[in-house]
Amino acid sequence: MTRRRTIAAGALPRRHEARLGWMMALPALSVIALIALGPVLWAVWESLYLHDLRMPWLGRRFIGLQNYVEAFSDPRFWGAIGHTVAFAAVSVTSELVLGLALAAAVDSMMRGRGVVRTAMLLPWAVPTVVVGLVWRFLFETPGGLMNTMLVRSGATPPIWFADPLAAWVPVVLADVWKTTPFVALLLLAGLQNIDRTLYEAARIDGASAWRQFTAITLPLLKPALLVALVFRTVDAFRVFDVIFVMTSGGPGTATETIAMYTFSALLENLRFGYGSALSVIIFTVTFVLALFAIRLMGRRALVEPSS
Amino acid sequence: MLTFAGSALGKEGESIRRQLEHFQAMHPGIRVDVQSTPDAADHRHQLYVQWLNARAADPDVLQLDVIWAPEFAAAGWILDLDRFRPPVDDFFPAALTANRWNGALYALPWFVDVGMLYWRSDLMSHPPMDLDELRQLAARGMREHAIPFGFVWQGARYEGLVTVFLEQLGAFGGVILDDHGRVAVDSDRAVAALTYMRDSIHVDAVVPAAVLTWQEEQVRLAFQNGQAVFMRNWPYAHALLQDPEQSRVAGRFGIAPMPAASGGAPTAALGGSVLAINANSGDSEAAYQLIEYLLEPAQLLERARIVGQYPPRPSMYDSHELEDALRVVPSEARAIIEHAVPRPATPVYTELSQILQIALHRGLTRQLEPRAALQQAAKDMRALLARTELGATQP
Repeated sequence: MTRRRTIAAGALPRRHEARLGWMMALPALSVIALIALGPVLWAVWESLYLHDLRMPWLGRRFIGLQNYVEAFSDPRFWGAIGHTVAFAAVSVTSELVLGLALAAAVDSMMRGRGVVRTAMLLPWAVPTVVVGLVWRFLFETPGGLMNTMLVRSGATPPIWFADPLAAWVPVVLADVWKTTPFVALLLLAGLQNIDRTLYEAARIDGASAWRQFTAITLPLLKPALLVALVFRTVDAFRVFDVIFVMTSGGPGTATETIAMYTFSALLENLRFGYGSALSVIIFTVTFVLALFAIRLMGRRALVEPSS
Repeated sequence: MLTFAGSALGKEGESIRRQLEHFQAMHPGIRVDVQSTPDAADHRHQLYVQWLNARAADPDVLQLDVIWAPEFAAAGWILDLDRFRPPVDDFFPAALTANRWNGALYALPWFVDVGMLYWRSDLMSHPPMDLDELRQLAARGMREHAIPFGFVWQGARYEGLVTVFLEQLGAFGGVILDDHGRVAVDSDRAVAALTYMRDSIHVDAVVPAAVLTWQEEQVRLAFQNGQAVFMRNWPYAHALLQDPEQSRVAGRFGIAPMPAASGGAPTAALGGSVLAINANSGDSEAAYQLIEYLLEPAQLLERARIVGQYPPRPSMYDSHELEDALRVVPSEARAIIEHAVPRPATPVYTELSQILQIALHRGLTRQLEPRAALQQAAKDMRALLARTELGATQP
């Protein structure tokens, strides 16, 4: 039907319409260009220069890809990348699993779902810096609540923030505690969209609860799961505040993520060129992740018939 | 019209505002505004760099952390003060060294901070003569008096750790940069110093491993609650520890220079604030007048009384007034300041320190052996200094 109309309307008015469309979109597009594209391009440009605020006598020299070469040959950079990937993998997996369990529990509630849903969001509403501080106090040595409890039960807890592996425990816990509700809420919306009659039919066919979960819930929840996965992965890749507050990247650089390292190069050491190169690398990785995810979701939306 | 930028909170703010009012009354032609800046050193540094890099004419007079002076001087952001012929002989020499860059003086010390050993006078008759004795006394105090910690210091990964290390390094006769500005932090003496620090935690167990997450305040609280035999801290802790309302060790502790090992000398890390003039200041003459006024003995004494900071003029340590103001024996304080050693004077100090902090913390948390950690640090420091293209930096 649409096809017939376009043919009937002819090419000229259509082009006119398209131009009008662009014009209407222009203000929004220029705002996006100004506040999103502009700074990104500027950072790319800056990353090709030697620009160190502490050393004005060096001038602002064009050095091509030298900053990138430095980053890629720096063990601290690769350490930070490794920490970031590991953090993202562990925290996002935990958040998805716990979030799904939480969503399923709330979904099966008969009464009080609204109240629980609101209460569930509380951790998400607390500013990350506050969450980080609270969890740091819990794990502080001595005197932290967690430590005191462990010691009373006969365990010998490590000095959490002085141990390269143990330091991750409070960090990941804080992140999972804060973001699981967000994931759960996304998944809950997905769950509530699933047609209940499918479960009824499955029950009549004698399908077990597990079979219902794998054959109905998971496939139909996939779009929501993907959205949660993408949001959380991109967020986790840029993680900064919770780590800044809890460990500042220590002990040594054992919990330093790529965003922490960039902060240190850019704002502590005032190396604008090198720091910009690091920012561009973070941007590229998250952008590719997002593109990949959008394609994945887009195809799914096309392939899947409206249920 | 002048602007002064620095700490303007709490007692420091109270003191500086009173002094500035008095100064304006004495100089009717000059008006001075206070520009309050963040108390966290990193944030203040970042703010100053933004202003000065933009060639702003305000603020005229800047309170700098002593480690920033070479950075700001090399960048051309602060004025060479030699033109005003400052009375350089009236200050502690170490406090001036830290403010020189390429032979010229760029700032004058306002107050000096020194790392010192706090010891429990109820547990021993005299402070330890050397690091071995310190370890023995610490262990004995823990054993015989059931005190949980022998020795506590700032071991978190931050600037404080570098100052603690600087003192242990001096105790073993090592340095971070040698007289020619070359990196010497991977020397055998430096390795011995870091090994001593690590072993006092993990082998001798006189230092609790928790110090690896502690800064000044956690350390002070441990000592103040009677949980430690020795403490390394700055002068600010003194008045708080003497307050019987909150302290369990009031009247039962003394201060002393950090002792040495064989082959080294007692060393105190030098900290504190200095005053400098913005190179783009519209009225540098008036700015210097203000600095001169703030550094008058009477003003320094008032600051010592209100804020508890140590004046940079040795001559003041002969007076009873200072004893009343600081409530320490001035000769004891002076003995410690005379052992003070500044941190390396280089425009890239903050990054140099960051490299060292990471290496020290890796060594102390046993992620790396002390020698490997310091070799890594030395390599990174050499690369950093090469990047400045200044050749060897000035001592």
